[in-house]
Amino acid sequence: MEDGAIGKKEHMSTKLAPAASRGTSVRASRPLMGWRTVDLLTVAFLGAAFGIAYWGWDIGYQGPTTAISQGFPPLAGLLVGPWFIAGVVGGLVIRRPGAALLCEVIAALVSMLPGTQWGFGTLLAGIFQGVGAEIAFAILGYGFFGLGAAVLAGVLSAPIEIVYEWFAYYADWSFGWKLAYLAITMVSGAVLAGGLGWLLTRALARAGALNALPPGQEVRERHSV
Amino acid sequence: MTRTPVPVAATEAEPPVVATGAVGVSGLTWRPYGRRDPILSDLGLALPPGQRVLLVGPSGSGKSTLLRALAGVLEVAESGELAGSVTIDGEAPHTRPGAVGLVLQEPGSGVVAATIGRDVAFGLENTGVPRAAMPARVTAALGAVGLTMPEDTPTHALSGGEQQRLALAGALALEPTLLLLDEPTAMLDPGNAAAVRTCVGEVVAARRLTTVVVEHRLGPWVDFADRMVVLGRDGRVVADGAPEVVLAERGAELVDQGIWVPGFPAPEPASLPPGLFGPGTLGANEVAVDAADVTVARSVRLVSGGTRTTLAVDGQWLQARAGQSLALVGPSGSGKSTLLLALAGLLPVDDGVVRVHPTLARHGERHPAEWDTLDLARTVAWVPQWSSSTIVAGTVLDEVMATSRAVGLVEAEAEGRAHALLDLLGLRHLEQADPRHLSGGEQRRLAMAAAVAHQPALLLADEATVGQDRLTWAAVMGVVEALRDAGSAVVLTTHDEAVEARCDRVVTLERPVQPPAPPTPRRPLVARCGPLSLLAASAAAIPAGVLSPRWTATLVVVAVQVLLGALALVSPGDGPQPRGRLRGVVTRLVPGVIGALSVAWSSWLLGGRDLEVAAGAGLRVLAIVLPSAVLISHIDADALGDHLAQRLRLPARPVVATAAALQRVHTFGDVWTEIARARRVRGLGASRRSPRTVLAELGALTMGMLVRSLQAAATLAVAMDARGFSTAYRRTWWAPAPWRVADSVLVVGSLLPLGVALLARAVL
Repeated sequence: MEDGAIGKKEHMSTKLAPAASRGTSVRASRPLMGWRTVDLLTVAFLGAAFGIAYWGWDIGYQGPTTAISQGFPPLAGLLVGPWFIAGVVGGLVIRRPGAALLCEVIAALVSMLPGTQWGFGTLLAGIFQGVGAEIAFAILGYGFFGLGAAVLAGVLSAPIEIVYEWFAYYADWSFGWKLAYLAITMVSGAVLAGGLGWLLTRALARAGALNALPPGQEVRERHSV
Repeated sequence: MTRTPVPVAATEAEPPVVATGAVGVSGLTWRPYGRRDPILSDLGLALPPGQRVLLVGPSGSGKSTLLRALAGVLEVAESGELAGSVTIDGEAPHTRPGAVGLVLQEPGSGVVAATIGRDVAFGLENTGVPRAAMPARVTAALGAVGLTMPEDTPTHALSGGEQQRLALAGALALEPTLLLLDEPTAMLDPGNAAAVRTCVGEVVAARRLTTVVVEHRLGPWVDFADRMVVLGRDGRVVADGAPEVVLAERGAELVDQGIWVPGFPAPEPASLPPGLFGPGTLGANEVAVDAADVTVARSVRLVSGGTRTTLAVDGQWLQARAGQSLALVGPSGSGKSTLLLALAGLLPVDDGVVRVHPTLARHGERHPAEWDTLDLARTVAWVPQWSSSTIVAGTVLDEVMATSRAVGLVEAEAEGRAHALLDLLGLRHLEQADPRHLSGGEQRRLAMAAAVAHQPALLLADEATVGQDRLTWAAVMGVVEALRDAGSAVVLTTHDEAVEARCDRVVTLERPVQPPAPPTPRRPLVARCGPLSLLAASAAAIPAGVLSPRWTATLVVVAVQVLLGALALVSPGDGPQPRGRLRGVVTRLVPGVIGALSVAWSSWLLGGRDLEVAAGAGLRVLAIVLPSAVLISHIDADALGDHLAQRLRLPARPVVATAAALQRVHTFGDVWTEIARARRVRGLGASRRSPRTVLAELGALTMGMLVRSLQAAATLAVAMDARGFSTAYRRTWWAPAPWRVADSVLVVGSLLPLGVALLARAVL
């Protein structure tokens, strides 16, 4: 019985730690770096799906961007936020170190394969944005995954990427424009990646697509009260 | 009542084998979070080595759950309270990875690799088998299941039945002692199903495996099994013994629970309240839709940039008449689903014509493919094979009402019909539930209710009875026949003989004769390079662009890149010239050119309207992008995984998971298309006149694609863990990751433009 037991009521009753109290989030199971297969595959499949969406946005964003940045080109940053959403959602869903980075990088990789206007820069951008989102979740100790955490991850996805863009694409811009571009992109990241990513994660959990993961457990706990 | 198995005598050629595969289950209880009652409660079961068990029970009795518990993968994709114990030969199921083989219901859901050889080797890789020892075991496993095609055959080119045999081979490669089959033939046509059963019978006999099969339809498996275990609705064992004894003593009782017991005739379709549907639009037996000489071709894009065209439907004639039901049968691959889509106006035909009866014409137009979403919804209903991704509403009732509301029917009347339909289909108590939380069988019935609630003149249903027990089968057929009797034309694709027997007419499709495959074209030089050099060469373009000082220098950099790119696309050797190389590069370059123009424009605006500044900025972007447009499409997902893990030593499990996801990317497009079709035929499709509907459609499609891909991830996690992936920290690899001369040449070549840029910096 001892070796063969696959479950004992005392310690096998749950894989996920329960939410400690109001305001905190359900954390990933311990150890935090103990990635389960479903964690890895969820990140990979999410990343791939976002990659396809990114590819669509690569084409779709061109027109609106040209329209809004007519007078003041740094306004183009307003529509950069959607490219940060994979990192935000990857972090919110899996809640393990590296999830945000991995999700964003896979999304970038998938969107790069059919051909984009940035070529290999797409993958670099994925790494820069993913590291930014990852830093946000690390600052919070992988313990908070509410709207605030999502917004922070969206905001921090911007800086490394934008500094890279200063050199790669906007070398001729004035420093004031560059700073404005950074600030505008951070706002865009907060709303279009942070806010939207948080809503999307909640919607996926409610759709029953995250049953094996912490957001799924949060939905169940809210309903069982 | 457990029958002791006949002791197996060892053959003379082999040393005596210690019989393995004894299964012990005691006190097994499983309650997923969010459910009040456990699915399995205090279940006990003992299987001696070599026993073949047929596990049966009504829908929702926990058969699949028990199989997952036996495989030790219950908590892979779900969380809940688990108690009790499961042992295989006295040890926990995952003590030896691969000791328990698991084959899932949906063909292809466990595929991890692009080729069949590599897919079978997956478990061997996870358990650290040396590469040299793999080919023999892979060949043996493929031989055992009768897959005799070359080992580099693409996995997506297999039929459903072949994919199930591939899954079996993947399990056999790990030499399991216990084999678990979760409705392995439920989604297959009769020919494929028989082939899978034969294969299972031979493999199990040869290897003396303990086997547990879950099936809804017992008939074909009764001879195979030597024990039958019946689970009740509460997840407890209610009958257990030799199949013939259980069937003789409890057969009628099992039939009452909805189980398909051999020897009992198919149930009578249930009857709906009379007058539920009004009189139809067409007179009896008038041709509602007419397909004349319809041909539908399917094009698959190849990595080389060309396409390969196959025929899905070839010169088919078909008439669906009002007040009649028509069964569309034939082996998988014969184009049943494609023809159904063509009839629904959801897929353009390449030749021939699909026309509705003049009375059904909308604004004088008789081709449904030309109608807008509301006109289509009023007349045509389509029930897809995959009903989960086509859900459009937040509650079951709203789902049924969606089309009636879209086309503007009287709310009260429509709601009355919705209630009656849900009642008959056993979904009335779920009216306010979220349809996405329903089981697969419930979702299929819901899709039927949602399709017919507004009484379309034409119902087209794809495999509407798959996975239904006798009771729900009778309900589904009752709905179909009620609509037919009200004067609608009904076309059902089916593998189900009982459905065929109920239909007024049967049309059998044959697999279209395919045009001969064109000879393999010559490969361009760039195709000889591995993924790492392709990525490195694409990356080298970034410093080349960023560092080149003036527009003149950048122009030279771009010129060098163009020359090198042309060289990379040269295809020496014999065989036909590859087509579409240049077109592919140009297509991939279009977004880059737009980006370059937009950057040039913003620089011109800022840089004092100086054309040189603008040209420099635009050319810089072009220099960054151009090499990627030539190189990146030649990266292969499996090879990328091999190289990242073996050459760059990245952690194996994330790399394998990523490669598996890349492998599935092409299926996401299919999901997207299917959801778009479902929305169009339900009257909710995007309309060019309204930007709001376009946004709603984009949101719904994105969400649907995400949900489906996450479900696929969860299923794949179960299949991969059943093949030892959860502990695959020290993996071996089926394929090496060589660095060839071509890779070095490519990297050196890609440094040339960078050299030009640096030289220009030094000189200018």
